Amino acid sequence: MYRIRFHGRGGQGMKTASRILGSAFFLQGYEVQDAPRYGAERRGAPIFAYVRAARQPIQERGIILAPDLVIVADDSLLPMPAAGVLQGVTPRTTLLIHSSEAPETWRQRLNIAGSLLTLSAQAEPHFAGTALTGAAARLVGVIMRSALEQAVRQELAGLGEETLSANLAQALAAYDGMAAHAGQVSEGEASAAVACPRPDWVDLPLDEADAAAAAIHAGATSVEVRTGLWRTLRPVIDYARCKRCWWVCSEFCPDSAIKVSAENYPEIDYEHCKGCLICVAQCPSHAITPIPESSEVKP
Amino acid sequence: MKDEAITVYKHMKDLPSSRLLGTGTPMCAGCGGLLAVHQAYDILGEKTVFVNAAGCMTLLAVYPYTPFRGSWLYTAMASAPAGAQGVRDALDIQLAKGRIQPEEDLQVVVLTGDGAAYGMGLSSTSSAIEHGLDFIYLCYDNEGYANTGQQSSPATPHGAKTATSTGAQGFGGHKKDLFAIWAAHRPAYVATVIATEPVDLARKIEKAKNLKGPRLIIALSPCPTGWDFDPQETVEIGRLAVKTGMWPLKEYENGRVTHTKVPPQRAPVEEYLERQGRFAHLFKPERNEAVLAEIQAGVDEYWAEVEKIND
Ligand SMILES: Cc1ncc(C[n+]2csc(CCOP(=O)(O)OP(=O)(O)O)c2C)c(N)n1
Ligand code: SF4
Ligand code: SF4
Ligand code: SF4
Ligand SMILES: [Mg+2]
Repeated sequence: MYRIRFHGRGGQGMKTASRILGSAFFLQGYEVQDAPRYGAERRGAPIFAYVRAARQPIQERGIILAPDLVIVADDSLLPMPAAGVLQGVTPRTTLLIHSSEAPETWRQRLNIAGSLLTLSAQAEPHFAGTALTGAAARLVGVIMRSALEQAVRQELAGLGEETLSANLAQALAAYDGMAAHAGQVSEGEASAAVACPRPDWVDLPLDEADAAAAAIHAGATSVEVRTGLWRTLRPVIDYARCKRCWWVCSEFCPDSAIKVSAENYPEIDYEHCKGCLICVAQCPSHAITPIPESSEVKP
Repeated sequence: MKDEAITVYKHMKDLPSSRLLGTGTPMCAGCGGLLAVHQAYDILGEKTVFVNAAGCMTLLAVYPYTPFRGSWLYTAMASAPAGAQGVRDALDIQLAKGRIQPEEDLQVVVLTGDGAAYGMGLSSTSSAIEHGLDFIYLCYDNEGYANTGQQSSPATPHGAKTATSTGAQGFGGHKKDLFAIWAAHRPAYVATVIATEPVDLARKIEKAKNLKGPRLIIALSPCPTGWDFDPQETVEIGRLAVKTGMWPLKEYENGRVTHTKVPPQRAPVEEYLERQGRFAHLFKPERNEAVLAEIQAGVDEYWAEVEKIND
C-alpha cells in the first residue's frame, strides 16, 4: 500500500492536491482513500492531507503514521514541531519539499538519512499543490501521464479553463521533471490491526456534574493558542518612522495582536499575530515591513 | 439633518487603546468579522454576555478556549434571539430576587452571521422585537454561509459567485434589505456599521449601549476567504464598500432614518467589485456590462431616493 502525506497551510490547496493524486491512482485501477485533516483553524494554519492507494481493499483508517512519501508545500512548516511533518519518517521515506533552498541544505538542517528532493519554489505559490502532485505521481512510478492529466481535469473542472490549463501545465512539467526519480517511492508493508498503536488514554476522575461540565472559568483563555504559527510573513515596525498613531494599526488589527505601550508605541504580539498584513497596508508612515518568517527566526 | 449626539468618540484617537477580545482565535487571518467584533466589544465592555448562533464566530469559543471576558452561549442557527430572551429573563429574575446587584447586570448581545440574521433567525428576531426584548443584535454580514464554505445566503449581493452560484452570472438574487425589515418593527435602534469606519461604529455601539429595548446592528464584514481577496486588503475593501455607496452607513431611531456618512462623490461600483475574486467573472474573460450596469443602477437609485427624502 502507498501511504502519502501532504503538509501545507490552510488555503494552499493541500486538500485539492490530495484529491488529484487520489483520483490519478483511482484511474490507474487502485483502491484509494484521500482525506484532508484540519481543525477549527482557517487559512494559514498548518494542515495535512493524506492518500492511501493499494491494489486490495484498504482496511487501514486514520492518519498515516508510516509514510512512504511526505510532501511539504510550505517549507516554513519543517522547523515547527507542532506541524508534525517528520512524524514517522524513516530512511525509506522520501521527502519532497517545495523550497527555493537546495536538497543538501535541508538534508543537513533536518539530519535526514533518507531520500530528500526539492521542487523549486513556484513564482505563484497557489500552484504549489498541483505541481507537487505531478511530481508525486512520477515518484510512485505507477501513474501514467495521461491518468494524471485526466485527474487534474476532473478535480479542477469547476475553476474555469484558464485556471485549469495553468494548473495542468504545472502538474505535467513537474511530472516530466521527476523522470530521473521515477518509481523511487515504493509501497510500504501492509500492516495488521494488532500493530496499530493503542490510543493514549487519559483517566479522568469522576467529578460532580457542575464541575465536570464544559464550562470555562476564566476570561480570554484563547491567549494560550499560539496563532503566531500561522504566519509566513512577519510585520516588523521601524520605530524610527513610527508616528505613534496606534489608532490606525492597533485598531485595524483583527486579532488584537498590536498592543499599545505606555508611551503610545504599537507593539506586535508575535505569539498571536497571524500575518494578515493589514497593519502593513494601513500604516500611513509605511513604518511596517513584512519579512519572511525564515526557518532561522523563531517567534 | 443629524442631531449631534453627545459622544466620547469624535476622532480615531478617542477609541479605546486596549483590547478586550483575547488573541488566539481560530478566525482566518484578516477576518473582517473578527475586526468588527473586537471593535464593538471594546465599546460594549466586559459586562456583556454573548448569545451566538452557528456560524464562523461560533468557533471563537471552543472549549477550553474563549476570547471573551465573560459568558457566551451557543444556540441553534434560528434561535439566538430566543436564547437571548432566556438569558435576559434569568438576569431579571436574579435582579428581582436580589441575587445580583444592578451594577452586576449584563448587556445581552446576540452575535450571528447573515445566514442567521437575514434568513433562518429572522422569525425569532421578529418575535423578540415584538416582545420588546432588551438586547443588542450584532450581525456580522459576510454575505454568505462562510463557515460551511460560502454558499449563498439572503445577504449575498447580486452577481457574486458563491459555492452555490457558480454560473457566468453569479448569484441571481438580490441582497435582502434587513435594515428596512428590522426598522419596520419600530425597535429602539437599528444601524449599519463597518469596521473600516471605526469612529462611526463606536458611536453607534455607544448609542445602542445606552438605550433600552431591541437594538439591532448590521456590520458589513469583508471576508478574505469567502470573497476571495488577499487578507491585507480587508480594510481597503471595506472602505470601498462605503465610498462606492454599496454599503450605506445609517441609523434608525424614533421612526427616522439618518445617513451618518454620505459619500461626497461616489466611486464607481467597479472599484469595489474588481478587487474581489467573487466578482472576477464580471470582468473576465470579457466584461459583463449588463450585470455591472445593473449593480451600478441599483446603487444610484438608492442614493437618488435618499437625496429626494433629504431635500
Ligand atoms: C439549522 C441549521 N442549518 C444548517 C447549519 C449548518 N451551518 C452551520 S454554520 C452555517 C453558516 C451560517 O452562516 P452565517 O450565519 O452567515 O454565518 P457565517 O458562517 O457566515 O459566519 C451553516 C449553514 C446549522 N448549524 N443549523
Ligand atoms: S500605524 Fe504605523 S506609524 Fe502609526 S503607530 Fe502604527 S506603526 Fe506607527
Ligand atoms: S499582520 Fe498586523 S494586522 Fe495582521 S495580525 Fe499581525 S499585527 Fe495584526
Ligand atoms: S471565512 Fe470569512 S468570516 Fe469566516 S473566519 Fe474566515 S474570514 Fe472570517
Ligand atoms: Mg455569513
